[in-house]
Amino acid sequence: MSRKYIVFTLISILVGFMIAIQFRAVKEPIVRDTRDTWQLREDLQKEKELELRLLREIRSNEEKIAQYETDRLHGKEQVLKDTLDELKSEAGLTVVKGHGLILTISPIEEEMLLGKPVGKISPDLLKRLLNELNRYGAQYVSIDDHRVINSTVIRDINNETKIDGYSIQSLPIEIKVIAENQQAAELLYKRMQVSKSAEDFFIDHLRLETAKANKEITIPAYEDSIRIMHMEPVKSAEGGSS
Amino acid sequence: MWLPVLGLIIGLFFGFMTDIKIPEEYSNYLSIAVLAALDTLFGGIRAHLQDMYDEMVFVSGFFFNIILAAGLAFLGVHLGVDLYLAAIFAFGVRLFQNIAVIRRILLTKWTSKKEK
Repeated sequence: MSRKYIVFTLISILVGFMIAIQFRAVKEPIVRDTRDTWQLREDLQKEKELELRLLREIRSNEEKIAQYETDRLHGKEQVLKDTLDELKSEAGLTVVKGHGLILTISPIEEEMLLGKPVGKISPDLLKRLLNELNRYGAQYVSIDDHRVINSTVIRDINNETKIDGYSIQSLPIEIKVIAENQQAAELLYKRMQVSKSAEDFFIDHLRLETAKANKEITIPAYEDSIRIMHMEPVKSAEGGSS
Repeated sequence: MWLPVLGLIIGLFFGFMTDIKIPEEYSNYLSIAVLAALDTLFGGIRAHLQDMYDEMVFVSGFFFNIILAAGLAFLGVHLGVDLYLAAIFAFGVRLFQNIAVIRRILLTKWTSKKEK
């Protein structure tokens, strides 16, 4: 008898549960919109006003942003920063990308077969080549991935050619040159093809090959800090002294 | 006697308390299932009053009817025929019959008690 009741109770719990869930699923309060035209119009008016206010706010904020932007652009700080960047790139402290040439200096293999000594790049030869490149419109140069800047020193130390203290380890080495633009690069290439440098290198048992870079080449930045020893800022001219 | 009613109330309470929500497209099936469950419940009450109650028939009938009703509705949706109407019709008619029988039995019991 009691078992029957328990079964009944369980089933009725289930039924109640199902009914409740069904109720929740179906019972969604539908709020009828009972506003008439006039009320709708008023509500619309309110919303429009809100929209207008928001638009005005957006506009004023945008104006503020623009003002800050111009302030920033014309500010002294920005000018200083621009100048600094300019000077840095001029001094060779930035990575440079552009069109240019890749010169390769390699030993002459045919002579090596004949048993002749492998040539050494002498500093004079390198200086001469750099001068030539500079004369023909090279803007940025790197030798064996070391940036050449105005104060770069190429010299012979203990029978080793060193560029700013870095020795040229093994041949072949690459000299990357970037010209002002693609036209200038083309011009430089033609000039280097007829230059005498190749012959000079040949005398030293080296081969200088000039190749046009198909893509933009990258020249690394100068790695060391530039030490300025004998220089001091010019004192601003006082009134009447100049 | 009052235990099943208490169970129903407990079930309702739990149903409203829990946060189970069935998707709208399945609420049809649940409504059919509820109908089938109610039919079985009243069938059970009638059987109990007529002293014909069989536990196996009751329990199996409960689940089988629910599954059959929901399956019929499902088939109807996929065939494009409103087959759930058949279930509603069958269960509805039986529900009324069962309740009518229960009412008569209770009435006769009541009147016989009164005559005594």
